[in-house]
Amino acid sequence: MKNIIFNLGYFIREARRNIRLNLVSNIFSFIGTVLILFILALVISGWSISERFIQMLKEEAEISAYYNENLDTFDALSMIEYINTIDGVTDARLVGEEEAYARMESILGEEAKILELYEENPFKAYIEIGIELEKRDAVLEKVSAIDGIEYVRDNREVLERVEGIIRGLKTLGVLVMAAVGIASLVIISHMIRQGIYNNREQINTLRFLGASDPFIGFPYLITGLLTTVGGGLLASAFITAVINTGYGRMSGTLPFIPLPPRNELVLLVVIVIMAVSIFLGILGSLFGLSSIKSRVNS
Amino acid sequence: MIEAKDVSLKYPDGTLALNNVNISINKGELVYITGPSGSGKTSFLKLIMGIEYPTSGSLRVLGQNIEQKEESQIRKMRRSIGPVFQEFRLIKGRTALENVIDGLRIIGFSPRRLKEEAELALDKVGLKHKAKSLVENLSWGEAQRVSIARAVARKPSLILADEPTGNLDYENAVKILNLLASFRNENTAVVITTHATHLIEGFKDATFLRVASGIITKDGGERL
Repeated sequence: MKNIIFNLGYFIREARRNIRLNLVSNIFSFIGTVLILFILALVISGWSISERFIQMLKEEAEISAYYNENLDTFDALSMIEYINTIDGVTDARLVGEEEAYARMESILGEEAKILELYEENPFKAYIEIGIELEKRDAVLEKVSAIDGIEYVRDNREVLERVEGIIRGLKTLGVLVMAAVGIASLVIISHMIRQGIYNNREQINTLRFLGASDPFIGFPYLITGLLTTVGGGLLASAFITAVINTGYGRMSGTLPFIPLPPRNELVLLVVIVIMAVSIFLGILGSLFGLSSIKSRVNS
Repeated sequence: MIEAKDVSLKYPDGTLALNNVNISINKGELVYITGPSGSGKTSFLKLIMGIEYPTSGSLRVLGQNIEQKEESQIRKMRRSIGPVFQEFRLIKGRTALENVIDGLRIIGFSPRRLKEEAELALDKVGLKHKAKSLVENLSWGEAQRVSIARAVARKPSLILADEPTGNLDYENAVKILNLLASFRNENTAVVITTHATHLIEGFKDATFLRVASGIITKDGGERL
């Protein structure tokens, strides 16, 4: 270990020499790494924005419970008190007939004139119940079982679609992460293997002089790290520019999409990209280094 | 320092490079191993360095058993050896000084001493003025001397030189042999292989071994 620390400057010089030795090929590897990490950065940004969107949708998840017309407001309020104690219920409140009418008016807009055809308010009072999406079925079961509840409108279709979107986004994110990870590992380990092959004579000489495998391999580890960390920095710069531009445009044209704070998003993406770069650089180099034994005769 | 008991080396293609060798080389000894090309001289040095392993018999070098399972220990053992390779094995694209420094770096010299020790070694072989020359720009003899400087700078217990006089003219060849012999001391043994027997006749206090068809004999003809 002491020898490794003593020779850190030498290892960095060797890493630079390795990069220069096969410059064109290494430049292409670097560009490939930047592009891959940039794609990852885009996915993380999209993921972060959609997570926030999904969170908002989740918070909006609700069911409507209609009760027996013979029950009065006092009975309904007692029912609400009980519903609020059910695990998975975030909020329950009474929507009176007038409010239900007003809501429909607001939804129909200019078409609300159609409601004037009714002599009486056609809408019934009901209980609006905010729920935790994951506990939907349990809540539905308990609310339906309450004495006096006649019908529960569960918005199942909408809720299932929201759940589908969440699952899809998570799966897509995981798949992209896996693809990016594998592609980066292949690029870096191939680059290291190429470097080892080009330097096989030198590596053999160092072995004959008694160099340990860590001593021989350290410059290659630095080569891999320099490539991915450099790639990560460039990808971070690109994604910062893209986020800044995107925020400017989206806030004007798509104001209803709930964006996370810009600086928070940039910081998150840069931290993740740099951490992934370092991790992939080390892992890819180690994979590449594992070929020393098979490619270089001792 | 080197103890070989019934050591044989057979290559995978069936060639028997060394046949039942028994040999002992001690501290401070100067040993010349002669024999025609392909007789097994280089194979013997490869065994000593742990580049090849005995097919049968036992070999101990600097207290280390030369066996495949001991690879990492053999790597450490090599740090006490100063090898002078037949083809020099200098690292191209680097200066003479850098090549000597690289040899020292491996054995853990502190960064402060690296340059100082390397320059001293280059001075010993008369190449201080070529310290900053790239090794590919050096003549055959100069490259050979850089290789020797790299070996001796490490202050090794054992110097192994494989055909160090190959392709050199008589005068330079004698100079190289004298130089190598001069590094022998009470702690350092020097083993040199050469096929040029006429060059080593003057070294009266040396041990002379001869290899032919994988069999090593002493100068007088006694099989080892």
